[in-house]
Amino acid sequence: MSTTPTIAAPVTHTATTTLNIPLNRVEGDLQIRVEVRDGHVTDAWSSGTMYRGIENVLRGRGALDGLVITPRVCGICNTAHLMAAAKALDALGQVTPPPDAIRVRNLTLMSEHIQSDVRQAILMFMADFANPAYRELPLYEEAVARYAPLKGRSVIEAIRHTKHMLEIVAILGGQWPHSSYMVPGGIASAPCLEDLQQCRHLLRGYRVWYERQILGCTLDRWHAVRSLADLDAWLDECDTHRNSDLGFFIRFAQLIGLDSVGRGHANFLSFGQLDLPAETDVRGFGDDTARLVPAGFARGTQVTEFDQANVAEHIAHSWFEGYEGGKHPFHGVTRPYASGGEGQKYTWAKAPRYDGLPAETGPLAEFVIARHPLFTSMVESDGPNAFARELVRLVRPAALIKPMERWLNEVTPDGTFYTRPKRIEQGQACGLTSATRGALGHWVRIADGKIEQYQIITPTAWNGSPRDSDDVRGPWEEALVGTPVKDPDNPVEVGHVVRSFDPCLVCTVHSIRGPNRHTARIL
Amino acid sequence: MDRVIRIICVGNRYSGDDNAGPLVHDQLAGMPLPAGVELVDGGLAGLNLLRFVDGAERVVFIDSVTYIQPGVVVLAGQDIAALKPSDYDHAGGLSYLLGVLPEVCDGQVPEVLIVGVAGDVDQEKLAAAAHTSIALAVEGAAGVRDCVPCDSPGGQV
Repeated sequence: MSTTPTIAAPVTHTATTTLNIPLNRVEGDLQIRVEVRDGHVTDAWSSGTMYRGIENVLRGRGALDGLVITPRVCGICNTAHLMAAAKALDALGQVTPPPDAIRVRNLTLMSEHIQSDVRQAILMFMADFANPAYRELPLYEEAVARYAPLKGRSVIEAIRHTKHMLEIVAILGGQWPHSSYMVPGGIASAPCLEDLQQCRHLLRGYRVWYERQILGCTLDRWHAVRSLADLDAWLDECDTHRNSDLGFFIRFAQLIGLDSVGRGHANFLSFGQLDLPAETDVRGFGDDTARLVPAGFARGTQVTEFDQANVAEHIAHSWFEGYEGGKHPFHGVTRPYASGGEGQKYTWAKAPRYDGLPAETGPLAEFVIARHPLFTSMVESDGPNAFARELVRLVRPAALIKPMERWLNEVTPDGTFYTRPKRIEQGQACGLTSATRGALGHWVRIADGKIEQYQIITPTAWNGSPRDSDDVRGPWEEALVGTPVKDPDNPVEVGHVVRSFDPCLVCTVHSIRGPNRHTARIL
Repeated sequence: MDRVIRIICVGNRYSGDDNAGPLVHDQLAGMPLPAGVELVDGGLAGLNLLRFVDGAERVVFIDSVTYIQPGVVVLAGQDIAALKPSDYDHAGGLSYLLGVLPEVCDGQVPEVLIVGVAGDVDQEKLAAAAHTSIALAVEGAAGVRDCVPCDSPGGQV
C-alpha cells in the first residue's frame, strides 16, 4: 500500500505532555494515558475503569450456571461466552455434540461476528474519518457524508442491514442477547425447516447488501485478492470498488498513512473457533482439519502450535491482589484490591500472557495464524498496523458468509442435536473459542457438582492488558508508542490505533446526557 | 391488524446504579398486562433493541436515570428529542437508538416514551414505575399529564 503519511506531520513539542483520554465509542469504560514528546507518543497506559467480577459471582453455584450467567459478561459477545461455557462443559461431560448441533452453534456465533465486524468498522472506526482533524483532506466531505455519527449514509445503511443478522441467533437460539440454548452435549432445541429457511433468507439478504455496499464486488472477486499487488489492482479495477465502503476505507487510509501507526509487539494469538462438524463441505482456513479458524501463536508470521497450558495472567499492575508473577487460569485468583500500589496499579484488567509474552488477538491474528496470503504478506512487509487490523475486520464477513450458507444447507431438521453427557460432578476443563474481538477462554473447575473455580479471559484482556510482572506493556499500549500526535487537544491518531483492536471492555453503564435544561441522564 | 405496544426494560441487573429497568421488568412479569402490550427484557442490547421497536405502535422504555431528585420521571416528545445521543459503542445504547430511530426504523416510527427511575431503587419506586409504564403503554403521551417536562416539579410521579 502506498501512503502519504499525513498522520505523521506532528507539531514539535519539546516538553513531555501527558494526555488522559477517556476513549468514547468503545464498549465499557476505557481511559488511555499517553506521554507525548516531540509530537509522538513515548509511553502509554491503558486503564479499564470498571470491575467485572463475574468469576466471583459464579463460585459455589451449580455446574451448569455458567451457561446462563457468563453470557451476561457482555451484551454484544454473549453467544461467544455461551460457546466457551458450553465447550468447557462438553469437556467435563466427556461428550462431543452431534454434527448438526455444532453447525447451529457455529451459525449463531458467526452471525454475531459478521454483524459486529461491519458495525465496528462503519460506526466506530470510520467515524474518526469525519473528525475535523481531516477537514483539509480531499476525501473529508465524502467521509462526513458517509460516516458522521447518527446520520452518515453508510452509518444508516449499516444499521438498517446489520440489525437483521441477530435474528438468526434469536431464531436458532430462542433469543438474543443472552441466549442459553447451548447445553453440554449440543443445543436445547431443534430448528424446524421454516427456521432454517428464514435464516437462509436473512443471510441471503445480508450477503447481497454486503457485496453491494461494503465490498463493491462479489465474495468470489474479493477472495481473488491474495497479495498487496492484488489489492492495488482490485482498487483500481472500477469505480464500484473504489466507491464501496471497503474501497473508500483503503483510499482514506492511504491518505492518512494508517499503515504507519499501531505496530505493537507483532505477537499473535488465536484459540481457534468454529469446530468443523463431521461430514461437512466446509474446509478450515489454512487447511485446518479441526476448526474453520485455526488455533496458534505467532511471532511475526512464524506460527507455532497453541497450548492453553502456556496461558498465564499477571496482576502486578492491576487492581487485584493475591499473587506475584503469572498464574494459569485454573489457578487464577480474582481478588479486587483498589487501594495501595499507588502509581503502579492502574487498571481492572489483568495482564494475560502466552508463554510469557503479550499477544494481540482478533481477526488479524486469526488470518495471520491461518496463513492468509494477503494479511501474511502485509505483516511480513510492514508489521501489524492499524490499517491491516481494520481491513481484515471489514472483510472477515466475506470469509464467513459462504461457510454459513453451507452449514445452513447441511443442517437437517430431523437430525440429532443432543448427546447426553456424563453427569458433571468433578473435574476441570476449559472452553476455548473466539469472540468477535478475538480469543476467549473459560477455565472451569467443578467439585461436588458446584463451581469451585471459574476464570474468564476475554479478547480485550489480551489486547488492552496493562504491563505484566516484567513491566512489559500490553499490546495496544505498545502499539501506541511512536504514534504521532498532531494536536494534543484532538488526538485522533491515538483513537485510530486503539480502535483498530476493537476495544470491548466490560458492559456496564450506558448513558444519555440530557440537554442543558434537563438534568436527566439515563445510566 | 393493530400494531403491538411494547414495554422495554433496559439496564444491567448486576450494576446497582443501572438495575431499575430489569427490576421493574421482574415486577411487570408477574402482573397482568393489557391486551396488545408485550413486555421485553431489553438488558444492555441498546441499538439491537431496534427489532423490538420496528413495527410497534408505541414503545415505553424503562431505565435508570439521574435526576435532580429521586423518584420516577417520564420523558416524552420534546424531552426525548432533546436528549443528546451518545457516541456509538458496541451496545449502541438507548440514546443512540433513539437518535437514529427516524432513519433506521422499518415502517412507521412508533411513539416513544421513557419511564426513568432516579436515585436508589426501592419497592415503592419500582411499583410506581411499573404502573406508570402500563398507563403510558395504554394511553400514550396523553397518559403523561402530570409528568413532563422532566425538569418540572410536576415531572415527579
